[in-house]
Amino acid sequence: MRIRKSRISATKIEAQMAPMIDVVFQLLIFFMLTLKIIPIEGDFNINMPIGQQATESPDITPPPIKVRLIANEDGSLSGVQMNQRQLGSDGLAFDRLNAEIGNLVGRRDNPFADELEVEIDADYNLHYRFVISAVSACTGYVSPQSGQVIRYVEKVKFAPPRRPEG
Amino acid sequence: MRYKQHESTVIEPDMTPMIDIVFQLIAFFMMVTNFEQTQADERVKLPSDQLARPPITSREKVLVVNVGFKRDNQGEKIDSTPYVFEGDVETAVLQYGPRLKEEKRVAEALYGPGGHKDMVIEIRADSETPTGLVQELIKLCQEAGFEKFSLRAKQLIR
Repeated sequence: MRIRKSRISATKIEAQMAPMIDVVFQLLIFFMLTLKIIPIEGDFNINMPIGQQATESPDITPPPIKVRLIANEDGSLSGVQMNQRQLGSDGLAFDRLNAEIGNLVGRRDNPFADELEVEIDADYNLHYRFVISAVSACTGYVSPQSGQVIRYVEKVKFAPPRRPEG
Repeated sequence: MRYKQHESTVIEPDMTPMIDIVFQLIAFFMMVTNFEQTQADERVKLPSDQLARPPITSREKVLVVNVGFKRDNQGEKIDSTPYVFEGDVETAVLQYGPRLKEEKRVAEALYGPGGHKDMVIEIRADSETPTGLVQELIKLCQEAGFEKFSLRAKQLIR
């Protein structure tokens, strides 16, 4: 018996690339137009519980470290004080504050190192960015070796606002 | 004269490398596009700090309060009074108390009685806002029953 050989040769099916490229370009343009570069934001936690009745506690907690921020009339920084000690008003004032807090926390004879609390008392018109710098200086520093944040103080609170007279 | 007949050939460019690159670009844009609905207001120029790091775990109950100045297209201040921005609504900071009480009621309806106490108030204040007004805002939040606060800042990368 003779087997008839099929004369139909295998045809290569070519996929249509044009529609896919169209869609891909549309997607690309969509993502390019909707891209909005947002800077990374971080935050500082503030410990401001609602006033509670004082309870008798056997634990003696240390008084908070008082950081005073004094403003000029235009809202710029006039001076930084820690526990009534002047730390200056220049760009290094917050570095000095950071070093002072670090000394307090790092002292081996300080049994309350974990319970330390900082109270920030700022003038009413002081620009908010100086408060953020003060909070940052009190809470820790970035290790130059590892880039990790080393925390000093977790508890930061604000003193009542100093409303301008009149 | 005899002409030799040549078959007309259509040159088909190789599309594969182009498609590869286009897909890579799409993947890149998809990765960097932020689909999350942030409640950040662009009028607020946040202070920046090295220690401002994003929280490790995202918070579930958050109320973002944007405090800033009205600015023109160039970003210059056109009014020296800070306002709380909620979309197109601008409220003076000291008049924001009733809105916070409303937020407390919404939080209680959503999370049950006392549900507002776990809510973190994220304060996004402009770097030039008077500190006293931020403190007044915290006080208003406390009066409304909120207890947890965080101050937002841009991460300064050195």
